[in-house]
Amino acid sequence: MTRDPLRVLTVCGVGMGSSLMLRMTAEEALKDLGVAAKVEATDVSSARSMNADVIIGQGLHTGEFEGVAPVVVTVTNFMDKNALREQLAERLQEVGWLS
Amino acid sequence: MAELTQAVLAARVDVVVTGWQAAIEAACQPLVDAGAVEPRYTRRCVEMVEEHGPYIVLAPGLALAHARPEDGVRRVCLAAVTLTEPVRFGHDDNDPVDVVFAFGSPDADQHVGMLSALAGALIGGLDDELRAAASDDEARGLLEGIGDGG
Repeated sequence: MTRDPLRVLTVCGVGMGSSLMLRMTAEEALKDLGVAAKVEATDVSSARSMNADVIIGQGLHTGEFEGVAPVVVTVTNFMDKNALREQLAERLQEVGWLS
Repeated sequence: MAELTQAVLAARVDVVVTGWQAAIEAACQPLVDAGAVEPRYTRRCVEMVEEHGPYIVLAPGLALAHARPEDGVRRVCLAAVTLTEPVRFGHDDNDPVDVVFAFGSPDADQHVGMLSALAGALIGGLDDELRAAASDDEARGLLEGIGDGG
């Protein structure tokens, strides 16, 4: 199955610090998985209306996104690429975006 | 990366602080001293955590303090401190914190390259290298080298 690149949002309170760091980690993790994706960093309130496939952020923020995007991933350590890759692999397989 | 060397203003090791607010203030002080941000920026960085919670604690032991461009940023800047005694930000998973970065950007774009480099360096273990640094100069050198890859 081919599909357009996933629209992935990394979110934080302001949208210019933590979320940017997480974007870098997410890009690396998705590259490892071979998943085509466009990753954008943004703030929590903007993310609600951005129609994303995947939203990644801290538990502090991801709770309010259940149902907003098909895949919502909660991250504790923003710099742990391997842990994020494992989480993404599991969730993307669940929705059929990764075989 | 020449622009990165200009942005890195200081790194201080083994700083003694009494709490998370003082840790943010210590990380921001070099930015104020260099005139890269207005003095009010430091207070705004503390208020960001008061308003939005401890989301700036990105990883175990590690915080990235910042406020917004309109909070008095004149140019892109970055500094770091390591703490003798870790402090608690109230983060469920990543407390206590003993490495604090502070950055500023005058708009939504100018810091993107710098933070990408910082993220890459942190994925590679920069935080532990800073913890092990024996002097401010050594720590500053590590910070200035984040854009060099590896």
